[in-house]
Amino acid sequence: MLLEIKDLRVRYGGAEVLKGISVEVEEGSVVTLLGGNGAGKSTTLRAITGLAPIYGGEIWFDGRRIDGQPPQKIVELGIRHVLEGRALFPYMSVLENLRVGAYLQKDKRRTAETLKDIFLHFPRLKERQDQQARTLSGGEQQMLTIARALMGNPRLLLLDEPSLGLAPMMIREIAKIVKGIHEQGVTVLLVEQNTRLALRVADMCYLLETGSVAACGATRELMESDQVRKAYLGL
Amino acid sequence: MDITAQDAVQSIINGLCMGGTYVLIGLGLTLILGIMNILQFAHGEVYMVGAFIVYLLCVLNGVNLYLAVVISMIATAVLGLILERVFLRPLKGVFLSYVCVTTGLSLILQTAVMLVFSKGVKQLPSLWGGSFSVGGMFISRERVVAIVIALLLTLALYSFLKWTRYGLAMTASAQHREGALMQGINPNLMSALVVAIGSGLAAVGGALGGSIFNLDPYMGGLAFMKGVTLIVIGGLGSIPGAVVGGLFLGVAESLLALFFGSQMGIILPLVLVIIFLLFRPKGLFGHD
Repeated sequence: MLLEIKDLRVRYGGAEVLKGISVEVEEGSVVTLLGGNGAGKSTTLRAITGLAPIYGGEIWFDGRRIDGQPPQKIVELGIRHVLEGRALFPYMSVLENLRVGAYLQKDKRRTAETLKDIFLHFPRLKERQDQQARTLSGGEQQMLTIARALMGNPRLLLLDEPSLGLAPMMIREIAKIVKGIHEQGVTVLLVEQNTRLALRVADMCYLLETGSVAACGATRELMESDQVRKAYLGL
Repeated sequence: MDITAQDAVQSIINGLCMGGTYVLIGLGLTLILGIMNILQFAHGEVYMVGAFIVYLLCVLNGVNLYLAVVISMIATAVLGLILERVFLRPLKGVFLSYVCVTTGLSLILQTAVMLVFSKGVKQLPSLWGGSFSVGGMFISRERVVAIVIALLLTLALYSFLKWTRYGLAMTASAQHREGALMQGINPNLMSALVVAIGSGLAAVGGALGGSIFNLDPYMGGLAFMKGVTLIVIGGLGSIPGAVVGGLFLGVAESLLALFFGSQMGIILPLVLVIIFLLFRPKGLFGHD
């Protein structure tokens, strides 16, 4: 397993947001966490990269225990987290945003190669490389935040609601991008409200309900179970 | 009283020169506030300590003035590193505690410098003696040198933030803290860097101020206030804003003092703060 979460518990103040969830992500797969508001999807991602206060359980990445490490150390191991709400550097140019994405890569030649590759996959960003990030459209901003994460050549990419606030056409575009990333051999852990998008790209699926795992399994099998379809997927 | 063109030009040059020292203190304040979310109330005292280190080296030990300024800049940057590690870093994100701690720090630094150097007004030697004349008007050389030094340092800082890996990381950290964290940027390294750089710049500001005006252990209080004014005028976190705000403040004070007496020059910054907070709270170049 590339990522293994065991009995993870997170508390904000007195409220228990995650009540002991376990999630496994195999190398090379796309895994999705589904569930309503407050189910703990984003919190799970934030716990992985050290942004949420963990008070129980363990997180293992590539045979190493990472819970309790500071965020920048976890990122250094090859995990990139595309935060909810994009978290761009609004007054920096598109190119500068991407350069900061390659902060940990000290080899300038490799950074240049990655950048060329990124521009090949995101021609829109190349056209707008000198524009300030805040002047991009919502879809372009989402592309930039994913591209910035890819500048770090991650092994595991955490995506938090990449379709949020986007038009249907843009959502299809994002789905294509996620598939493309997967084909490049990057493992993806995806959090989505948009169930259709998530199921279209994911191999494995976890259904979260108020801080616990309600069901999990291969996407295809879950789709075949009528009970799950009705109760959780609304299909 | 007649005010001649010579008076006006002199006054503008003086204003730019004052403004240059304001810019040097304001840059550190605005960057520290942007990245650490801490208003460094002892930053004026860092400026003062910088000036006294130059005094110690140059006046008391005969070191060349310019060399003394460089040494003071480095020494004060190291002082900044220590202050950051011991006092500021633990207070990041603790609401208002930093006000007490940094205010206390400013009192401690004032008293310490007063104990070491005793009270009384001191002066540094001139940066470059004499004056030159342009179109029949005399302009003092040292003031021009001071303005040039301030602008060159600002330019150097701007290039650092725009073109280097650590500079970009600092800019990013000021614009989105978590976003920067997720690129693997170590926030502690960033806050150490920003306080060290800000303190070094303030030290040069203090030295320029001290060589043109006087220096005493309490000079930091007023300088700090100018720095805060400049942030309000220029906009938080903006370097062009700090430069324009600082120079504008210096010149406006100087001209007002020329026409209406020096008391007006003291009131002006406070009036400006009120006007900007009422009508343009993000300042000239600030972000929302």
